[in-house]
Amino acid sequence: MDYKYIEQLMERYFNCETSLQEEQILRSFFQQEDIPAELLPYRDLFRYQENETIKDTLGDDFDTRILSIIEEPVVQAKRISLKARLYPFFKAAAMVAIFLTVGNAAERSFNTEEEQDFQQTTIINPGMSYQQATSPLEMVSKDVKPVTMEESQTDTLAALIKPLDGIK
Amino acid sequence: MEELRFRTDILPLKNKLYRLALRITLDSAEAEDIVQDTMIRVWSHRHELDSLDSVETYCLTICRNLAIDRKEKKDSQVLELTEELQDTKPDFSTPHEHLVQDERLEIVHQLFNELPLNYREVMQLRDIEGKSYKEIAKILNLSEDQVKVNLFRARQRIREQFKTIDNYGL
Repeated sequence: MDYKYIEQLMERYFNCETSLQEEQILRSFFQQEDIPAELLPYRDLFRYQENETIKDTLGDDFDTRILSIIEEPVVQAKRISLKARLYPFFKAAAMVAIFLTVGNAAERSFNTEEEQDFQQTTIINPGMSYQQATSPLEMVSKDVKPVTMEESQTDTLAALIKPLDGIK
Repeated sequence: MEELRFRTDILPLKNKLYRLALRITLDSAEAEDIVQDTMIRVWSHRHELDSLDSVETYCLTICRNLAIDRKEKKDSQVLELTEELQDTKPDFSTPHEHLVQDERLEIVHQLFNELPLNYREVMQLRDIEGKSYKEIAKILNLSEDQVKVNLFRARQRIREQFKTIDNYGL
C-alpha cells in the first residue's frame, strides 16, 4: 500500500496546511491496526485526538444538577397598579376614620349620661331643686321693704282718684 | 433567530465546554464548575443573543474566558511556591486519567497539557473539537493568522517531543 499521500498529509499537518477534512482523514487512518513503521510514532497523537472526545465527558448527574438550577421556578416581579399600591394607605385611613367615629360616639354617649344624671337628680329630689332655685331669689328680696296689702291698695285707689279730680 | 431551548441547544454542548475548560485549568472539578457557570450565564442572557451566528461559539468563548479567569485567580493564590512544588507535574489524577489504559496515550496527554496555555487551547479547539480557524479566532479573540501561528508552533513542539521520544524510546 502506498502511504505517500498520508506522509504528505502528515507534513502538511505539521505545517498547518491541512483542511479539517484532511485532518479527519489522518485521524481515521491512524485508527487502523496496520500502520507502517515510519508513521507509527505519530499513531498515538491522532488516536489520542480521536479518543479525547469520547473520554472527557460529563455524566447524567451534571444534567440533573444543571436542570434543577435552570428549570427552578423563577419568581417574577408582579406589576402593581397605583390603586393596589395605595390600598394599604386606604386601609389605614379607614381604620383611623373608624376609630375617630367610635371615639366621638363614645364621648357623646358619656356626656348624655351626665345630663341624664342631672335630670334624674332633679326628678328624684324636687325639694332640693326648689330650694336651690329659690335661695337666690330670697337673697334679692331680703333688702326690699315689705309692702302691706292696704298700702298697695291705697296707692292704687289714689292713682285712680287723682285723674277723676281733674275731670270735676 | 429561534428562541433558545436549554435541553436541545445548550445542554448538548456540555462535553465540548468541559474539555476546553479542563484543557485550560487541568482540574476536572474546576472544569465542571466552569461549564455550569457558563450554561447559567448563557441561559440568563438568552434574550440578548438574537444576533448570534453560533450559540456553540458563543458558549465556548464564555467558557474559555471563565476558565482563564479561574486559572489566573488560582495561579495568583499559589505565587509563593517552593522549588519542590514547582517541579511537580500538573495533577492528572482525575478519574478519567485512571481509566486511560494505554500508557502511550497517557504520555501524549501529558505532552498536550505541558504546552503553554495559548498553544494548548488552540490545539484543543482545532485537533480535538475540529473547529475552523475562523471559529477559533472568534472564540480566542485573536486574528486567524495569530491562530495559525500558535497552532503551527504547538504542532512543531509536539513533533519535536515525539522525535525525542522516538529517539530515546518511551
